[in-house]
Amino acid sequence: MRNTTTGWLLIAPTLFILFITGMVPFLYVLAVGFLDWNTFAANPEPRFAGVENFRALVFDAAFLKSLWLTFKFTVFVLASQLLVGFFLAKMLMRNVPLKGLFRTIHTLPLMIAPIAVGATWRLMTVPGLGPIPHWMQQWFDISYVLSRFPDQAFATVVIMDIWHWTPLVTLTLMAGLSNLPEEPLEQARIDGAGEWRIFWDITLPFLKPVLLTTIFIRLMDALRTVDEVWMLTGGGPGAETRFIGLHIWRVVFPKTDYGYGAAMSLITLYLTIVMCWLLYVAMTGMKEKSR
Amino acid sequence: MLKLLLASSAIALALTAPARADFWSDAGAKLQGVTIRGVSESTPPSNYVRDVLAPQFTAATGIKVEFETTSWDQMFDKAIKDMEAGSGIYDFVYIEQDIIYSYLARDFLVNISDALEADPSLQAPEFKIEEFTTFIDNFRGENGDIFGVPMEAFIKVYLYRKDLFEDPAHKEAFKAKYGYNLAPATTFAQWRDNAEYFANLDPNDELWGTTVQASSGHPASFYEFFESIAPTYGVYDWGIDMAKGAATVEKGGRMNSPEAKEALAFWVGLLDLAPPEATASTWDEVASTFAAGRAAQGWVYGENAAWVATNPEKSTVVGKVGVALPPMNEGVMAAAEAGEGYIGYYDGGAFGIPHSSKNKEAALLWLQYIGQPSVQADWAVAGSRVVHQATFDAPKVMEVDAKADGYFTMMKEQGHLFKGAPEFPFHAQVREVVAPFIYEAIVGTMTPEEALDKAAVAAEAEMAKLGYGGN
Repeated sequence: MRNTTTGWLLIAPTLFILFITGMVPFLYVLAVGFLDWNTFAANPEPRFAGVENFRALVFDAAFLKSLWLTFKFTVFVLASQLLVGFFLAKMLMRNVPLKGLFRTIHTLPLMIAPIAVGATWRLMTVPGLGPIPHWMQQWFDISYVLSRFPDQAFATVVIMDIWHWTPLVTLTLMAGLSNLPEEPLEQARIDGAGEWRIFWDITLPFLKPVLLTTIFIRLMDALRTVDEVWMLTGGGPGAETRFIGLHIWRVVFPKTDYGYGAAMSLITLYLTIVMCWLLYVAMTGMKEKSR
Repeated sequence: MLKLLLASSAIALALTAPARADFWSDAGAKLQGVTIRGVSESTPPSNYVRDVLAPQFTAATGIKVEFETTSWDQMFDKAIKDMEAGSGIYDFVYIEQDIIYSYLARDFLVNISDALEADPSLQAPEFKIEEFTTFIDNFRGENGDIFGVPMEAFIKVYLYRKDLFEDPAHKEAFKAKYGYNLAPATTFAQWRDNAEYFANLDPNDELWGTTVQASSGHPASFYEFFESIAPTYGVYDWGIDMAKGAATVEKGGRMNSPEAKEALAFWVGLLDLAPPEATASTWDEVASTFAAGRAAQGWVYGENAAWVATNPEKSTVVGKVGVALPPMNEGVMAAAEAGEGYIGYYDGGAFGIPHSSKNKEAALLWLQYIGQPSVQADWAVAGSRVVHQATFDAPKVMEVDAKADGYFTMMKEQGHLFKGAPEFPFHAQVREVVAPFIYEAIVGTMTPEEALDKAAVAAEAEMAKLGYGGN
């Protein structure tokens, strides 16, 4: 009993800080989501709007498009980062020349702030200044103008995110791979199992906890991407890279539509939780099935 | 070097104007050690404030100035959030002419006239409201009181490459191709012909026909269209009738009028003749494009005119810049002269003091310091901005005027034909719903007609949602 009390007392400061920094803002946003509140309206005072903000969201084409783009972006970057990250992790587990140097260089993007990543990529991609449009024109005769061609903008944003965050996936998967038990692998090889069979039946199940953690981290990061994209494309051309975080920012800050923006944030949070839960159920279900 | 310059400026100020120096040191005596903080967009005029005027003020009064110059979006975010929350981070903020009506509606700002009247000991002898140009009228409240001290004002002009337009070989080739003389455009058809001619000279020459401030993800494109292009087609105030809350033609607005659609079609049609960075260009990039010699003509904000025309460290077209009025439809000039319309954008801003400021007295002194006549000429040379009538006739300004093909003379004599943003309290809110349609027209996913039809409906819906215009 005393141990339990002491335990609670010891974690109380942490819980208090978490409550202040996590729960209070959440409860505030929850309350604002039910208000009609724009400080530049004829009546700038907040008014209770019931569920009107949430109802309007269902018919808001810009919001729905933004959600769809975010989902598409998330699927692309997550799948790519897992594939590339796993491949690189396997490579770096082997004794290849200059492995240490490559690993260091490969990890460097992780140390750069997202806003700086966006600024750097912008400098590289601005026509007339950046090298990428120049090379694309010279080598492939492709007119590469992010601010004009939606597909180019979307693809570049995806590639930028892959470049920035794949090292994180590589590092976590390397940690997982280095902790794999040797015995089952050796046993499988002795029994004549092929590489693919070993990967599917032994490596993957053992890696699942690490994979799940990595996927959750990257999924949540991808769903709330703002800084890099804001810097590189500003959400353009048009609204073709206006992912949900960026869309909410435009509604809340320049447009000062606080109630509607809060409702968007809550719906996005809800969808994020649902997606994570579905993923968790799918992956743990797979695990059960494979047993 | 900068310190030396500042020190010598401070000494010169002290020696040549003892009465003023006495006032500033006397007035600053009780505020010694106070630090005032401000925020503005990073522009040539603001950078001059940060690098020159702020240190001068500190030397004269002992009051420190921390002045943050940042991006346009961030500047507004920071200022508005500070004033809304009443946190008092900033003692003075940049108030762009187009946002003052929103700020006044929200009662964010200190009444400067009242504040000076309440404490005569803070009134600088050299600060006189009547010496400002009429631009200061933008910052008056309903009873005529001042809520901001202008720090910059300029017009958005038509810049063209004089060297190209006056080149005999180009003149001959142009006439042979189009059947009339090459000259700065006075009609939209001529603008397009000029653009087409220079854009198609040589595919590898890095010279295009025109700048277009057509960022496909930044409100700069919205502003170029509604504040520079549409007015020259006779569509004023964004095509919105605020009293009726109308933007569509059906309800009495003109945002989707035939003239507006023709204007948008002309403007986006220029993109094929503009450098590839046009769709990523805000006002800054347009100036950089022109200064890099990548465009033969364009609409360029006046705050950049002086450095583009005179600063060889930043511009490759020094001595080659011509300045003219933009082309316009028939009847637009007559309407502008009669005060019923305008031919382009008269931009600028002021510094104001938020109610939430914790150092209002020091900020009041600061605003008068930047509003006194003696600092105006050098500031005008550095940032092509003029807010005092007398600045136009200052020798230094006239010298730059000659090099900038009469930009300041045009501003002095024809500035009244230009106008700032309409007096909308919902400026940013309507802009945010309309701008995406302009982006769609730029990218080509909507026709100009479709974009403006949808934009007008969206603008009306937003005004209704905000409770404006009797909706």
